[in-house]
Amino acid sequence: MIKVRELTKAYSDLRRGPFVALASISFEAQAGQIYGLLGPNGAGKTTALRILSTVLQPTDGSAHVNGFDVLTQPSLVRRQIGFVSANTAIYDRMTGWEMVEYFGHLHGIEPEPLRARMESIFTRLQMNETRDVLGGKMSTGMRQKVSIARAIVHDPPVLIFDEATAGLDVLVARALLSTVDELRDQGKCIVFSTHIMREAERLCDRIAILHRGHFLAEGTLAELLEQHQEPDLEELFFRLISDHDSASEKQLVAS
Amino acid sequence: MTWSNIKWVFLREMRDQLRDRRTLFTIAVLPLLLYPLLGMGFLQVAQFSRDHPTTILILGDDALPASPRLIVREEGTPEDGRFADEFCEQKVARLLELKIRKQRSAADLGQAREAVRTGEFDALVYFAPDFGKKLDAFRARLLKRSPSSSSTDRLDRSAEQDAVDLAELAVPEPQIFVNTASDKSRIARDRVERILRSWRESIVQDNLEKNDIPVAATRPFGLVNTDVARERSRRAAVWSKILPFVVLIWALTGAFYPAVDLCAGEKERGTLETLLCSPAQRSEIVFGKLLTIMAFSMATSLLNLLSMGMTGVFIISQLNRLGPGAMQVMMGPPPLGSMGWIVLALVPISALFSALSLAIAAFARSSKEGQYYLMPLLMITLPLMMLPMLPTVELDPGTSLIPVTGMMLLLRSLMEGQYLESLRYALPVIGITAICCLLAVRWAIEQFNNEAVLFRESERWDLGLWIRHVVRDRAETPSLAEAIFCGVMLLMIRFFASFLVGMPDGWSRFATTTVVTLIAFIAAPALLMTVVLTRSPRKTLLLRMPRPAAIPMAVLLAIVIHPVGVALAEGVRWLYPFSNDMLEQLEGVTGLIADAPGIWSLLVVLALAPAICEELAFRGFILSGMRHMGHKWAAIFASAVFFGATHGILQQSITACAVGAVIGYLAIQTGSLLPGILFHFVYNSLTLLMATTIPEWADQHPAFRWLYSTGPEGLMYNLPVLLAGGLLAAAALMWFRSLPSESSPEESLQDALDHQTAQPALK
Repeated sequence: MIKVRELTKAYSDLRRGPFVALASISFEAQAGQIYGLLGPNGAGKTTALRILSTVLQPTDGSAHVNGFDVLTQPSLVRRQIGFVSANTAIYDRMTGWEMVEYFGHLHGIEPEPLRARMESIFTRLQMNETRDVLGGKMSTGMRQKVSIARAIVHDPPVLIFDEATAGLDVLVARALLSTVDELRDQGKCIVFSTHIMREAERLCDRIAILHRGHFLAEGTLAELLEQHQEPDLEELFFRLISDHDSASEKQLVAS
Repeated sequence: MTWSNIKWVFLREMRDQLRDRRTLFTIAVLPLLLYPLLGMGFLQVAQFSRDHPTTILILGDDALPASPRLIVREEGTPEDGRFADEFCEQKVARLLELKIRKQRSAADLGQAREAVRTGEFDALVYFAPDFGKKLDAFRARLLKRSPSSSSTDRLDRSAEQDAVDLAELAVPEPQIFVNTASDKSRIARDRVERILRSWRESIVQDNLEKNDIPVAATRPFGLVNTDVARERSRRAAVWSKILPFVVLIWALTGAFYPAVDLCAGEKERGTLETLLCSPAQRSEIVFGKLLTIMAFSMATSLLNLLSMGMTGVFIISQLNRLGPGAMQVMMGPPPLGSMGWIVLALVPISALFSALSLAIAAFARSSKEGQYYLMPLLMITLPLMMLPMLPTVELDPGTSLIPVTGMMLLLRSLMEGQYLESLRYALPVIGITAICCLLAVRWAIEQFNNEAVLFRESERWDLGLWIRHVVRDRAETPSLAEAIFCGVMLLMIRFFASFLVGMPDGWSRFATTTVVTLIAFIAAPALLMTVVLTRSPRKTLLLRMPRPAAIPMAVLLAIVIHPVGVALAEGVRWLYPFSNDMLEQLEGVTGLIADAPGIWSLLVVLALAPAICEELAFRGFILSGMRHMGHKWAAIFASAVFFGATHGILQQSITACAVGAVIGYLAIQTGSLLPGILFHFVYNSLTLLMATTIPEWADQHPAFRWLYSTGPEGLMYNLPVLLAGGLLAAAALMWFRSLPSESSPEESLQDALDHQTAQPALK
């Protein structure tokens, strides 16, 4: 479903100068699987997912979603994905229904099938109370439900969740995670980025630990723990990151 | 690009904006309330406005003649007085408070002047002690020469002698002292001047009577003005100057604020990323937003026009009721036909302003930052809107090609009913507006494709950090910002240097000045910036050898394209003729060139030196930096614009810009500066030879007549030569096109983006 090969993204800013946000990462994610990108803030998770959603262009390497290239076939890629992140806000001056309908229209769905699909989504996500509420007046939970409904209105085979639980209270976050679980059960390929260990442990079929643009480890939870002889994901995460940081420091001193 | 997506984006944005109370208030409520409120305020203020009284000091009234009497003193109060009724209307007399003083010493005048300066008096009228005597002497002299005087006197003096005597007689001059820093003082001066003129008129009449000359002799003929304009045309003429400006300024304002909300506002609220993840293409998003902005731009403009027109008509009718007069003739309601033309012209002009606003707003990180960009946008467009309001500016081939100005002039001539003239220029005006629109839309789409613009984050700006960044993070070639900075700096240096250097007075000084200016003000800054700001001067300045064939091809291209360049220069001069001052200046330069000791010195100073220095700066540093834009042609055009602008004179700049674009293309296609330098040298040499040596050769060798003929502007290429040159130049450019050129990373990425596959419709 998703094939990422040596994906690289370089930026330049005033403080750091030119720097590599993603250093040649590669991974594959299959249908019916939740692929977790685990990493601290600034690890490159959002950059990687923005490239997958065609909002950013890679500096090097390639990424294919359901067979379509993110650089040369972005419109086709966007039809294959639903993207939910803390950054994808909803319109303040549109009701929940209007918002989801708008994205349905942009996906080219005819009015009648769209209506039926929306009715089913609104019922499944228990969000009928958001139908006539303007985005600006919605609670965080309602907004998150509208975001998910907007992302799945066209029934995409791939869903990307970028730190989707950030800033949510426990109840809303739990509801979101169970929705993600349900979507996996429906056979969707899901990429889920987070910096919360428990979410990754609970949800993800495969996990990649990302730090400063590099993949430090990649595999199923069991494989990772066995390979690195650590009792749990949190311990593994801290060890890999501190090993990487001290190696980088040594390299810097040597150079 | 699918229209359905554009429609959905447009409908959503319209709904979103119409639900925004602030937008609705600014677009619809404000104009409907603003003008009536302003009108009410104006009428209220008009009631209170009145003429303010002014205090005048008269110094030395004892020097005035008894007849005709100018000043009447009030009885009892020696300092108070008034101007005689026959010279001063009662209405004005009420506004003039006179203080009259005798001049006792010379110091009195100084004190009186000081009193005007400090504001104690608004004006001072000073009659010198000998004023009366001089006036009497003048009048007596007139009487002596009059036909009614004794005939013996007349015989003694010839008419010529009389004239000389009169000229020699000192004419008495009352002095008015005014403080021009004070409005009140200037009003006082005007009032007094009118009265003194009327008094002088009376003395003239008296003199004429005494000389037995009828008063009518001073008016051997009268002047009668007859206005043949129809009342409708007269009204249209007045409105055609006001309304286009009002419409355009509101179209711009009405476009800008929604644009900021639709782009920067969406970025700020985080909804832009949501939209970018949808299948809508960037161009569909841009067009959807553009249509929304256009709708609001047109609505704002029309509502303002309507509200202002209705309020204006109401106020005019009120003012006419108060006092019928010139106002009624000047300002009737605008003719209905004019309004139709305005609505029609509003469509392209709103499209242009909307596209510009959209591109600028897309660049802003936040609404607040977006608001800052309104002022620069206004600074660029306002002069273009003000230009047509100058009295001598008319719709002609030149002005019709200036964006905004051309449209305003076309609208004006349509409103004035000059349909034939309008029709002649409609095509260039609409064409240039359409081109500008397309460029602005293209720019807006670029902004939506540019992740650096979309995800620009606010960074704390720190001078130390920035300098460290510029030095530490030097790339091989300059950045886009550095290239723009270099171009702007060269323009500024050139501007100030032109004041410092001035016009040299001989060839040797001219040659020295030209070469020093080129080295110090063009090449040196570019070289210095290359060394300081880049890691690879070789790559920046394209210091590498091209493939050998490129060298003769560049020389050949310069030769065959020269007739086209000359024809272009000729066309530009026809569109925008030189002013007389400019022609004089150019003749001065031609004179200096004629003084050159030999053709070789001329070629070194005006062909070789510019070829090397200007190429290093414009095709070296600036073009290398511009290539980070990601568009080869945009980079070529931008560096050519800077190159053209440094030529100073508009007419030369346009031609230089075109030539600069050709050289830029050579530089990119060959990856070397050398072909460009050779092209530049040969091209300039040919121009110089045509101005100096070729006319002589043409006289001596008949073969030259195949190439050239002498026209009103000097030597011209013959038409077949021009056509053949054009064809050969096109062929040579095709050869350069076939060369494998190196793309910048940004250009490669843009190329990939440009070749994105369009999506099939989802069934």
